[in-house]
Order: sequence, then C-alpha cells, then structure tokens
Amino acid sequence: MTLGWADFAPLAIDLALVAAILIVLIGDLAGGPRAGRGIGYLCGILLLGLFAGSFFLDLSGPSMGGTYVGDAWSTFFKRLFLAAGALAIFGSADHVARHTPTRQSEYHLLILFSVLGMSLLPGARDLLLLVVAFELMGLPLFVLAAWAKTDDPRGVGRHAPEAALKLYLVGAASTAITLFGLSLIVGLSGTTNIDAWIRTAPSPLWFAGGFLVLAGMGFKIGAVPFHFWVPDTYQGSSTPFVAFLSVAPKLAGFAALIAIIHRGLGAGLLHRPTLVTLAVASILLGNLLAVAQTDVKRLLAFSGIGHIGFMLLAFLPGTTESIQMLLFYGGAYVVTNIGAFLIVEQVEDAAGGSSIDDFAGLVYRSPSLATAMLLFLLSLAGIPFVVGFWAKLYVFLAAWEAGLQWIVVLGAIVSVVGLFYYLQIARAMFMRKPAAEAPPLGSSLGMTFAISLCLAAVVVLGAFPAPLLGEAEAAAKAFVAKPTGAR
Amino acid sequence: MPLTSVLLLSMALFCIGVFGVLSRRNAIGILLGVELMANAVNINLVAFSRFQGGVVGQVFAVFAIALTVAEVVVGLALVILLYRSRKDVRVDEANALSG
Repeated sequence: MTLGWADFAPLAIDLALVAAILIVLIGDLAGGPRAGRGIGYLCGILLLGLFAGSFFLDLSGPSMGGTYVGDAWSTFFKRLFLAAGALAIFGSADHVARHTPTRQSEYHLLILFSVLGMSLLPGARDLLLLVVAFELMGLPLFVLAAWAKTDDPRGVGRHAPEAALKLYLVGAASTAITLFGLSLIVGLSGTTNIDAWIRTAPSPLWFAGGFLVLAGMGFKIGAVPFHFWVPDTYQGSSTPFVAFLSVAPKLAGFAALIAIIHRGLGAGLLHRPTLVTLAVASILLGNLLAVAQTDVKRLLAFSGIGHIGFMLLAFLPGTTESIQMLLFYGGAYVVTNIGAFLIVEQVEDAAGGSSIDDFAGLVYRSPSLATAMLLFLLSLAGIPFVVGFWAKLYVFLAAWEAGLQWIVVLGAIVSVVGLFYYLQIARAMFMRKPAAEAPPLGSSLGMTFAISLCLAAVVVLGAFPAPLLGEAEAAAKAFVAKPTGAR
Repeated sequence: MPLTSVLLLSMALFCIGVFGVLSRRNAIGILLGVELMANAVNINLVAFSRFQGGVVGQVFAVFAIALTVAEVVVGLALVILLYRSRKDVRVDEANALSG
C-alpha cells in the first residue's frame, strides 16, 4: 500500500490539529508562563479557524486503504467537536489563568488532544482506529477532571481528585467491558473492518458481544443505570471543563455507538429491548431526580442524563430520519449546554458555590447573564422558539414514526417536569433579591465571546433551524449510504 | 485444547475482574480488577487468532495492552493525588460529593 496525497486530503483538519498542538507546545516552551491567557485564546482561535476551514475544504474520500473514510457524516461530527472545543477553551481561559497561572498551556493542550481523538473517531471504519481514537479522547479527560486540584481544604478544587477518580474508575472499567465485547466480535468475524461484520452469522456469543459493547458505552454516555458518576464528577470538577465534558465526549460516544451497533452489527432490532429500557430509564430518572437537586451543577447533570435518554430515543430506530434528528439534537445540545455551564461558572466563581440560592437576584447583578441563562434554560426545556424546541420536537417525530408512540407520550409528560426544575433557577434569578453583599458580575473577554456565540446559535437556530437540519440530513444520508466494495 | 475452553478461561477471568471492581473498597484493588478484565480481553483476542488463523487478533491485543498501560498510568497518578489530599485511597471514604 502506497500513500499519496489523496490519503491525506480527508485528514486535512486532523493533521492541521496536530500542527496546532505542536505550535502551542512550542509556544509554551518559548513563552512559558509569560504567555499568560494568550495561549488559551490562541488555542481557541486555532480551533475556530479549523471549524471555519472545514467549510472550505473537501474532506471526502477514503484514506489509508479505507481505514478512514471522510464524508458528510465525519465532517458534521468534526465541526461539532471543533466548535465544542473552541467554546470550552474560550470559556476556560480566564478560569485557568486565575487558578493555575503556571500550568495554562497544559490544560489547553489536553483539550486539543481530546478534540483530536474525537475528530478522528466518526470517520474510522476500522475498529483499531476507532478504539485508539476513543482512548485518545478519553485519557485527557481523566487528567482534566482532576485539574482544579488544590491543598486548600476550602478551595474551589477541593473535590477535584475525588471527582476525577470516580470518572476514571468508571471509565477504565467501561473500557474493559467494551473491549471484551469487541474482542468477541473481532474473534468471531475475524476482521476489524466494521463494514465487514455484517457477513458474520449471528450466534449467542455475537449477541453477547454487542450487549457488552452497549453496556460499556452506556457508562461513557452516562445513560441510566450507568449514570452514577455523572453528578459527582460534574459537581467536583472545574465548571468550564464540565461544559466540555457534558457534551463533546457524549456525542463522540454516540458516534462510536452508531458505528458499532448500526453500521457494524446491524443489530438495532436484536438489541431493541435493551435500548428501549436504557432510553426510558434515562428519560425518567434523569428528569425526576433533577427536581430534588439544590445544586445547579448537579441539576444540570441529571437533566443531562435525561437529554441522553432523548438522544437514545433517536438512536434506537437507526433510520436515516432518526439519525438526522439525533445529529440535530446533538448540535443544539452542544451550544445550549456549554452556554449554561459557562454562566454557572461565572456565578460559582463569584459566590464560591453553585447552589440555586447563589443564583438569587442574578438579574440585578448582571441583566445580560440572567437573560442569556434564561434562554439556555428555555432551550434545554424545549420551549418555542429556541433551538432546543426543534431538537425535542424532531426527536419525538422520528420516534413516533418508528413506532415508539408510548415513549413519546412519556417523554412529553416528563418534559413538563423538566420545565418545573429549569424554571426554579429562572425564578431565583428574576424573582428573588440578591444577597446584600453580592457585587455586580463582570465577564472576561473570552467568556463574553463564548457565551455570545452560544447565545447567537441558540437564538438564530431557533428561528431558522433549516441550515443545521440540512447539514444533519446530508450527514445521516452519507452514513446510511454504504461504501462501494465494502460488502 | 479447544477454543471453547480458552474462552471459558477468559470469561472466568473477566468475571473475577468484574467481581473485584464491584467488591473492592480500595482504589488500587479496583484497578487490579480492571487489569484482570483487560487481560481477559487479550486472552480472547489471541485465542481467536490462534484457532482461526490470521494475525488481526494478535495485532489488536498489542494495541489493547498499550492502551491499558496508558490508562493505568493516569489512574495511578489520580490515586496518588487522592492520597495526597485525603491520606486515604478507600473509595467509600471518598463521599464528599453526594446529595
């Protein structure tokens, strides 16, 4: 096999990302701590540049002997991950610069590494590449979760080691479970080519392999009953990192799940009862447990579990329409959830905590932040006419057409419960008086930029969902279209 | 020795690993359980490769070993971090985050 230029064209964004990592690394060596928060802004700008570049480059075509295939599917995910990475880095730059001024570039480098893993993942057609990309995504996250470590028993990062260890132990065990399932599948089929698996005759062992993969990935995306690490890790880790953790790795998990279950095993029907259970349990437990939370980060964690349930609902049928709706939901979720967590970061940073009481009277301290938070909450709850409404509506439509009517009715009822707890935060922000000593809240440059981008996306896509929907449709069609010569 | 007996061995090892992860209260013990699970994966891959021909399984096993090592390095660092901040690596004592 000889490598030509054609092999590198589909990987242009990933190679540019590697170059960006090297630039930041050298920049850090040359500038060191003197670089200040400039290094964070540099990373953010590089990611935004790559995001913009993905619209101008032709990233389609097979690469490395078909191990990696670039198409609308992989490009859609690349854009999501680059956008999530850029937003998270702009939102983190100030936090990192203030809390760990001497270790700034390490934080941003780890985010870049994680984004590189994610960006390679959706195009992987060979299991080896998929597994390595998945680990490249996951390992930096463990380190980042422990980032806020501090010896100050009352400091903001006092719970970070515990949060990171919980994330790690669950992550390592789930990787082992997933790999065990994959080892059965690879052994029985005799190949790591995902597209060739469908030729293998199903057997109980084959089914068990798929089941183990589902269980292992269930931990990664945080679906009930594998969700217990989610609230603890979200609460203990630094908030701007949680903004990243709560969206990008979840979507990467779905990209891997879709590739393995729908494309590889073609076993959507076989595993349907398991998937229905996971989806219903996530929707119900996530939304119901969120009601009892007094900490906004934990509340968003449980509501996030509910959102994973809705995405599983769209994942279940595996038709072009449902995959399209899943992608749209993912796009909406990225901008909404990152925006919400970045605002939580600002409040937490000023108040030293993230309970609902700390949000009291936010409108008096910063009208713009309170209004932005209200819009993000409405989007999470699925109220017209912000983007979350369309996301939820489309997922319900797709599930309805796939014959899951009873879950749609259940989901619609549970959404009303969701409205209740989201509006609890809104009530604290707008109806209550702030604590006497609470000063006005100001935002740093990067934070303002990131929140404005999220807000613009939530409002504009709420008014005109068609562009994102069109992109999602192209991606879903590219996914369903089988590559020539694969069978 | 037929393939079935090797698979039974790897499944037993995997179950012991899962039991270790679920029952151990010490973070290091849990890591050891994860290691057993990872080794069950490698036995599976190599056994299929040995009995059905082809080197795919063995190549995969080498990758799996490398990935596991990388993971354990991060894990041990986190355990040391937890020990420094609490002087204790028992996970059921690490329960400050709940509610």
